[in-house]
Amino acid sequence: MLWYVAKRLLAAMPTLVAVLTVVFVIVRIIPGDPALTVLGDQATPQALAALREKLGIDKPLLAQYLDFISAALTGDLGRSLVSGRPVINEVVAVLPHTLDLTISSLVLGTVLGVPLGVWAALRRNRLADYVIRIVSLVGLSFPVFVSGIFLLMVFALHYRLFPVIGTANLSDLGDRTWKLVLPTITLGLVMVAYITRVTRSAMLQVLSEDYVRTARAKGVPARLVIRRHALRNALIPVVTVVGLYLGINIGNSVLTEIVFNRPGLGKVIVTALNQRDYAMLQGLMVIYCFLIVVTNLLTDLAYGLIDPRVKQA
Amino acid sequence: MTMRILARLLQVFGTNKTSWVGLGIFAAICAMALLAPWIAGSDPLEQDIIAKLRPPSGEHWFGTDEFGRDVYARLVWGARISLSVSISAISLALVVGGTIGLVSGYVGGRFDMLVMQAMDVILSFPALILGLIIVALLGPSQTNLIVAIALTAMAPFARIARAPTLIVKERQFVEAGRALGFGHARIIFVHVLPNILSEVLVMASLWMATAVRVEASLSFIGLGVRPPTPTWGGMIRDGFENILDAPWLCIYPGLAILALIFSLNMLGDGLRDATDPKLRGE
Amino acid sequence: MSGAGDDAPVLRVEDLSVEFRVRGAWWPAVRGLSFVVARNETLALVGESGCGKSITALSVMGLVPRPQGRIGGGRILFEGRDVAAMPEAELERLRGDRMAMIFQEPMTSLNPVLSVGFQVSEALRVHRGIDAAAADAEALRLLEEVKIPSARRRFADYPHQFSGGMRQRVMIAMAIALKPALLLADEPTTALDVTIQAQVLGLLADLKSVQGMSMLFITHNLGVVAAIADRVAVMYAGEIVEVAPVARIFSAPVHPYTEALFRAIPRIDRAEQSLDAIGGQVPPIDRMPQGCRFAPRCPARRASCEASAQALVEVAPGHEVRCGVRAPAGAMAA
Repeated sequence: MLWYVAKRLLAAMPTLVAVLTVVFVIVRIIPGDPALTVLGDQATPQALAALREKLGIDKPLLAQYLDFISAALTGDLGRSLVSGRPVINEVVAVLPHTLDLTISSLVLGTVLGVPLGVWAALRRNRLADYVIRIVSLVGLSFPVFVSGIFLLMVFALHYRLFPVIGTANLSDLGDRTWKLVLPTITLGLVMVAYITRVTRSAMLQVLSEDYVRTARAKGVPARLVIRRHALRNALIPVVTVVGLYLGINIGNSVLTEIVFNRPGLGKVIVTALNQRDYAMLQGLMVIYCFLIVVTNLLTDLAYGLIDPRVKQA
Repeated sequence: MTMRILARLLQVFGTNKTSWVGLGIFAAICAMALLAPWIAGSDPLEQDIIAKLRPPSGEHWFGTDEFGRDVYARLVWGARISLSVSISAISLALVVGGTIGLVSGYVGGRFDMLVMQAMDVILSFPALILGLIIVALLGPSQTNLIVAIALTAMAPFARIARAPTLIVKERQFVEAGRALGFGHARIIFVHVLPNILSEVLVMASLWMATAVRVEASLSFIGLGVRPPTPTWGGMIRDGFENILDAPWLCIYPGLAILALIFSLNMLGDGLRDATDPKLRGE
Repeated sequence: MSGAGDDAPVLRVEDLSVEFRVRGAWWPAVRGLSFVVARNETLALVGESGCGKSITALSVMGLVPRPQGRIGGGRILFEGRDVAAMPEAELERLRGDRMAMIFQEPMTSLNPVLSVGFQVSEALRVHRGIDAAAADAEALRLLEEVKIPSARRRFADYPHQFSGGMRQRVMIAMAIALKPALLLADEPTTALDVTIQAQVLGLLADLKSVQGMSMLFITHNLGVVAAIADRVAVMYAGEIVEVAPVARIFSAPVHPYTEALFRAIPRIDRAEQSLDAIGGQVPPIDRMPQGCRFAPRCPARRASCEASAQALVEVAPGHEVRCGVRAPAGAMAA
């Protein structure tokens, strides 16, 4: 198993370097001189030159590139142009909040989504199926900031059940959970809708497979056929899709964090964009890509657990 | 040939209730946007500080915002932005993406592989983030917004256009001797287009839903069309500050965005269920 | 109608009809089907693709695919009980235990995420309620009985690690695990190559004689019929057109369709032959002719054939034919 993980990490290396290169190029394309942005146009040429040297942007492009790659691979992502603090520190500070939200919405999505999807598949084209499909379509159609605001209005402002400001005290588990509820429901709503649909179509596909017929021919009771024979196979495409979706989820995380005023990677990204903090943006993109690689790896590992055919590869 | 396309369209729409409902709601919103000057009632930009933050009443159906502007009027006009941005963006994506797909499929080989990999990379980026980056780079304006969304939506149309091109290419080899210069274009238009029409419609509907969502989200973040032009996302952004006193400022635009996205999703979903050969059989 | 033995037949199908939904309306794919399978007997069900053989077997098991199909009428008496009218829970108790089925495609008929050993032992666990260890032990014995090499080592392997022929043996082990009275085999050797085919057939024949099992063997391969069948029923377009003991069906076929089927087999011992394909196609189920269904393709047809449906008539002991021309009603061989 360890060998499998190591092999996959190694295989991801070229992709990682390719993405880092793209990040490097994108940041350099941004019009404007970073030194000018930081110091303002009142700065003297000497000050500008000094800052440029400090930031390392006066070196030839190739040298900058090599510096960047080697630094990124060793974990040094530079320093924020605005605060001067290392990018990696800023990221580590907010990461627990983002992970809390991602994991809890994923759990909510799965716990609700899979059973609903299975149920809809079993009651195909009957009332329950239609209702589930419509409701999940509504869930998908709710932009996250709209549903977040609605939830905020009802549960935090009107009924005062949950707090409005969302910075949690990480060491206080109660506070942390408390502040997690509404954002999780917001983000989880989309997850549930998505997972329900994927599970439904995967189950429909699997239920028509020959091996399900064989199981029924053996007299295996229907409930056992669904749980043991159908569901395990149906989960394979569900894992794929959920893994893909986690990467896409960051857009929704950003919005959720804004609505609930939660610290997290999303807010950091938007702040950096607004402040034109290029060093920060560069570092953040690297982190984001790294997270995608990790997610893919986790997805692959999940396959390995469910599908015995994968281990052979 | 137009008749053939029309007939196909009716066939695809005919049996599916979901797509009709979706189309109906979408058409209603379009009508609202088109008829804005006549049904809005008041000027969406007209400020009336004395009447600010009034709840819904007989005079202002959906209340007023912090500048005293009529929310209902802004909502009706705001539809124009959401619709024009999404329709323009997806049309652009369709044309550009389709062309890329056609060319790539036709040229084939290494070029094709590279182009498709680039498309895959674009597709794996969340639409909002990509839009965010592009608008942040180019600056917020309606045109940039359209370009940003079109860029993210290109990839699926490239794929759809590429597949039949590959098939047509095969046939070309067979009929190499008899193919005339304009034969290619004819074949593409007469044979290929009607077949991919349903796929294109499904993609276009679903991606329009995404386009509306991205436009609203970017407006909410503050990177959408600049004020004072009313946009639904922008209205929510402004309303968010007054959420305690004036919840109607967020509710109505929120419902409008939901309705539009939902109708497009219904349309796309319904069409897909009706035309996907795998789903049709059972 | 085998005269031998007082034992009631294992399976008696009476006037079965199975319908499918085509564009909103129900059409019979199988109509008025009646046949019998006696104890310890192998009945081969022969016919072209689409004649309804598979659906017949699936109906016996109660596995007609819903919602597009349903049993339209008739009775299926398995060991005296009408399976067609049985509730699902009771059917589940019978399936795998008293009657079992093996399917055509070994590549897709086994669950890819469960081990082979488990899949064989599953029926034992479900029906006999014995514990896992005992079930596994018996499953191992079964794998060895179907001659899976290194069965012990491969017990925990997965289906994708086995070849097609091996998988089919696993299917057989699964099916016979509880010593069913009736085994339904739907073209089990069609997807296998010829040498493996022979092995699997041999295996089935051995098992049958050891366990005393009846078989309903579906195939379109007449060579297989010759190797394994006691009696043969020929189906066309959802009806049985001829039933006879295997020797008679090869030596003296009566129905024009049966004749044509046999003419289509190339024979080594004949000098000159033409490969006569049977012209035409089986009519689709929503456009069945009123009279004899084979009439449009029949070389012996007469005007009266297409007018009205024909009945099965006994032309010799144990030999029935549905043909107005060759076996008119009332023409009983003395």
